[in-house]
Amino acid sequence: MTKHHPTSEWIALVAVLLVVGGCGQSEQVVFRLNMREVVSNQIEPQYQQQIVNVIEAMFGTPDGPSVMPEMKLDIKHLKFAAGPVWDDQAGRRHGLYRKHCAHCHGINGDGRGPTALFLDPYPRDYRPAVFKFKSTYNPARPTTNDLHRTLMNGVPGTAMPSFALLPPAEVAALVEYVKYLSMRGQMETALIGYVFDELGEGDDGNLIPLDPVNDSEQRNVIVDELLGDIVTGWEEAPEQVIHPDPDAIPVDKSSAQWAASVDKGRTLFYGTKANCVKCHGPTGLGDGQQDDYNIWNKAVMTFEEATDSLPNQIKTTRASMKKMDKEQTVATKEDLVLLHRSLTDHREVLEELLPPRNAIPRNLRQGMFRGGRRPLDIYRKVYTGIAGTPMPGGGPVTPGAKGTLSDEEIWQLVDYVRSLPFEPASQPTRLRINYDVLN
Amino acid sequence: MIKQSKTCGLWLVPCVVWLASGCGERGYLGPVANSHTAIEIRKALDTFSGSAGEGATAGVASSGTGWGTLRGRFTFDAAPPTMAPYDVTKDLATCTLDGKPPLQQTLLVDSATKGIKNIVVFVRNAPRVHESAGPSKEPIIFDQKECVFVTHVLPLTVGQSLQLKNSDNVGHNTNIRGKKNTFNQTIPAGASVPFTPQKEEALPAPMNCSIHPWMSAYMLPRENGYYAVTAEDGTFEIPHLPAGEDLEIQVWHERGTGPGGGVVLSTPEAKEYKWSKKGRFKVKLEPDKTKEIDLNVPETAFRS
Repeated sequence: MTKHHPTSEWIALVAVLLVVGGCGQSEQVVFRLNMREVVSNQIEPQYQQQIVNVIEAMFGTPDGPSVMPEMKLDIKHLKFAAGPVWDDQAGRRHGLYRKHCAHCHGINGDGRGPTALFLDPYPRDYRPAVFKFKSTYNPARPTTNDLHRTLMNGVPGTAMPSFALLPPAEVAALVEYVKYLSMRGQMETALIGYVFDELGEGDDGNLIPLDPVNDSEQRNVIVDELLGDIVTGWEEAPEQVIHPDPDAIPVDKSSAQWAASVDKGRTLFYGTKANCVKCHGPTGLGDGQQDDYNIWNKAVMTFEEATDSLPNQIKTTRASMKKMDKEQTVATKEDLVLLHRSLTDHREVLEELLPPRNAIPRNLRQGMFRGGRRPLDIYRKVYTGIAGTPMPGGGPVTPGAKGTLSDEEIWQLVDYVRSLPFEPASQPTRLRINYDVLN
Repeated sequence: MIKQSKTCGLWLVPCVVWLASGCGERGYLGPVANSHTAIEIRKALDTFSGSAGEGATAGVASSGTGWGTLRGRFTFDAAPPTMAPYDVTKDLATCTLDGKPPLQQTLLVDSATKGIKNIVVFVRNAPRVHESAGPSKEPIIFDQKECVFVTHVLPLTVGQSLQLKNSDNVGHNTNIRGKKNTFNQTIPAGASVPFTPQKEEALPAPMNCSIHPWMSAYMLPRENGYYAVTAEDGTFEIPHLPAGEDLEIQVWHERGTGPGGGVVLSTPEAKEYKWSKKGRFKVKLEPDKTKEIDLNVPETAFRS
C-alpha cells in the first residue's frame, strides 16, 4: 500500500505538522512581563520568573482575573470584561476588553496591540498609570469619572472612538478593567524596582529569592508598601480634582468683555510668563518646539540609546584588555560575556517596542482638543499641564502650592485658545507678537 | 523510484521553510507564570492580613557607636573626553554666548587632575543618622542661566524646598521625571517657582526643560543628608557617617553603564569593596577616623 502512495504520505505528514505546530492559534493568552524594565535593570531570569508568579498570584490571568481586597476593584466587572469573546444564554456579551480594546491597547494594556504601530498617536500604555485626559492635578491618578468620560467621548483627533453606544454596564466593566491593567502594570514595575533595589546577591553569593511564601517581610512589603502605595494613589484621585475658583469663572460676558479677555489671553500666549508660543508656535499651529518626547516614547528612546551604546562599550572593553594582567583579563572576559548577553536581550526587546515619536504640540486652530473642548477641560490643561507630556502647567502643581498664573489669567488663556480657530492666521494686525522672544 | 523520491524532496521544501520561519518570529517576550506556584503565593498573601506595624521598623539593626568620615576621589583612566556643544535650536540670542552654544556636561574630566565631576555618592542604608545629616529645611536655589541648569546634579533631602529660578529673559519650564516625584510648571522670565520633593528616590531623577529640551540636569531626594557629588577634581566627602556599621554606598553617574546609571568598577581596588554590578560598594568605618578611597575609573565604566 505504501509503495503506491508515497506522495500522499508526505501530504499527511505536512498536514500533521501544521496542526501540531499550530501557529499561535491554540496558544493560551497570557500576560507578559514589562521586558524593557526587566532588561534595563538587568533582572536575572530567576527573578523574572518569580516576579511573574507573584503578579499572577495577585492579579490572575487574562482569562481568569483575580483581585485582592486591598485593591478595591470589582471582580464582577473584571470577569465581565476579561477573557475571550462569547455570549451567554441571556445574550449578554463577555470578553469586552478583547472585543473592543485589545487590538490597540494589547492584552497587557501596554499600548502595543497588533494595530498600534499603524496609529498616530500610539494607543495609551496603561502600565505607568499616567493618563493625559483627566480632571486631577498633574502627578495624580485619574478619577473613575475621567476614564469613563474618555470611553464615552473617545479622544477627538485620534483613533480612540467613543463607546457611548455600549450599555452602561459594559462601559463600567471596561473602566474597571483599565484600572485593573493599570494597577497590574504599576505592581510589575514596583516589583522589578523592589527586586533591583533590595534583593540580589546575598553575602553567600547566591541570589536572595523573591519568595513571599516563606518570607513574611517580603509579604509585608508586597501587600502593605508596594500595593498599598499604588492603591492609595487611585483612592486619592477624587481629592485631587481641580475645581476652579467659583468667583473667577467668567459667566455671562458681553462681547466687549469677551474681546477684552481674548486680548489679554493673547498677550499671555505670546509672553514670557505663560510661554505658550514656544511650543504651540507663533500662529498656534503647533509648530514650535517639536523635539521633545512624552514619557512613554522617552522610555523607548532611552532604551534605544542604551542598546546603541552597547556595541561601542563591547569594543572599548575588548580594547582595554590589551594592557591588563592575567587576573584582570579573566574578569573582563566575564564582563564581555555579560555585555554580549545584554546586547542580545536589548535587541530582542527593542524589536517588540514601537519606534519612538516626538511629542508634537497641539494645533490650536483646529478647534479639536483631545481632552475635551469644554472651557473647563481647557482650563484644567492650562492649569496643570498634560501628565506624561512636555506640556507644563501654569497653575499650582499640587493643592496649596504657588502657581505661575492666576485663575483669571488661566481663563483669559482659555478664551484666547477657544477664539483661535476663528482668528485668521494671516491677520498680522491682530497679532501683537513680541518678536524678541521668538528667535 | 528516483522520480518518487524527488517528489518527496519537493514536498519537504515548503515544510522545512515553514518550520524554520516559525510563525512570524518575535523578540523574546519574557517568562510565563507558573500557575501552581502562583496559587501557593496567593494563599500566603491571603493569610497575611496586613499585620500592622510588624516589620515596619525592619531594616538594618544598629550595632555600632560613634561617627566616621568617608572621603574619596574618582579619576579618569584615559584621556579626558571633549564635550560637544548642546544642540541649541531655539532662542539663540539667550541660549548662546556670542553665537556659541554652551558645552554639554555629560562627562566632565578635569584636565589637570583627571578628576571626574558630578559623580553622586550616597548611602543606601543608614542604621543611625547624625543630627548634622538629618533632613534639611534650608531652601535651595536652583538656577537656570543661558538655557543651562547652573547645578547639573543636585542631591537634597525630602521636604527640602527648591526654588526653581529662571535668570533668563525667555520662559522656561522644569519637567522633573522621577519615579516618585514629578513636576512640570512654566517659569516666567526672571521669576522663580517653588517645588518640594515629597518622596525618596533610589536613583537621581532626570529633569529637563520642554521648551529647550537640550537642558538637562538630575535631582536626588534622599531621607538623610548622607550624599555627596564629586567636585571638579573628582573628590567627595561624607562626614558623620555611623561607624561600625556595614554601609552600602551607591555610586552613580549619568553615563554610568550599570542599570539606571550605576558606576560599575571591576578594578582590583574596587574588588576590595565588593563593588557590585549595580554600582554599589560596601564599607565599614571606624569612629572618629576618615576612610580614604582612591579609585581609578576606566573609560569603559561610562557610556559613550
